[in-house]
Amino acid sequence: MKGIPTVLITVSPEVSAQMRPPRAIYPKGFKIGNSLGKPGMRELQQAVLRDALTLLTENTRPGKIVTRDYPGYGEYHEPPRVKNLS
Amino acid sequence: MSFSRKCVPFTPFEGELAKSTVALVTAGGVHLKDQEPFNIADELGDLGYRIIPEDVDSSQLMVTHHHYDHSDADSDINVVFPIDVLRDLQAEGFIRGVAKKHVGYMGYTMQLKAMYEGTAREIANEIDKGSRADVVVLTGG
Repeated sequence: MKGIPTVLITVSPEVSAQMRPPRAIYPKGFKIGNSLGKPGMRELQQAVLRDALTLLTENTRPGKIVTRDYPGYGEYHEPPRVKNLS
Repeated sequence: MSFSRKCVPFTPFEGELAKSTVALVTAGGVHLKDQEPFNIADELGDLGYRIIPEDVDSSQLMVTHHHYDHSDADSDINVVFPIDVLRDLQAEGFIRGVAKKHVGYMGYTMQLKAMYEGTAREIANEIDKGSRADVVVLTGG
């Protein structure tokens, strides 16, 4: 068993970073419950999923979360913070 | 399957997306309407998971999770479980296919050891053995 490559889409980057995911993308400012965008925003959802999958082909640093901007989302929500983060 | 606790368990991707089959694993509490809902009454969290088949009609999916606002997912499940979006990417040739199995579980637990050593491994084995997935996309809520 050699494992299966994964990529995480997270809207809580600080929380997710604690688990040091192999690859992860943070759509900046998306609220919890909107990992891919809002309902019916199919083109935006496609863009997020394409970008997440494309991370598999890029030279990312394991454990690092890549932030991407999607202005089409139209809102900014502050992500949850981890308490006592050093 | 063994998990590393100290190192990032990084598996290189050596293929091409256009030749790859993709599975979804979500912590967003997604399951079929006719599957047993997650037990939100259990204060420690439900350690179970549900298998979602490749040919699922997304209108037959729902969310049982009480630690995030899933009202948007209730109207379009793709915001946390992008199964129709994955089909779009298959249709455009960005990926080769949609895996045979996908997984929903409730990403909230006070039983971290049991989640890490039990549920997570079971999910990994389900994907490894039965899904024919080349890669996995993980989502939260």
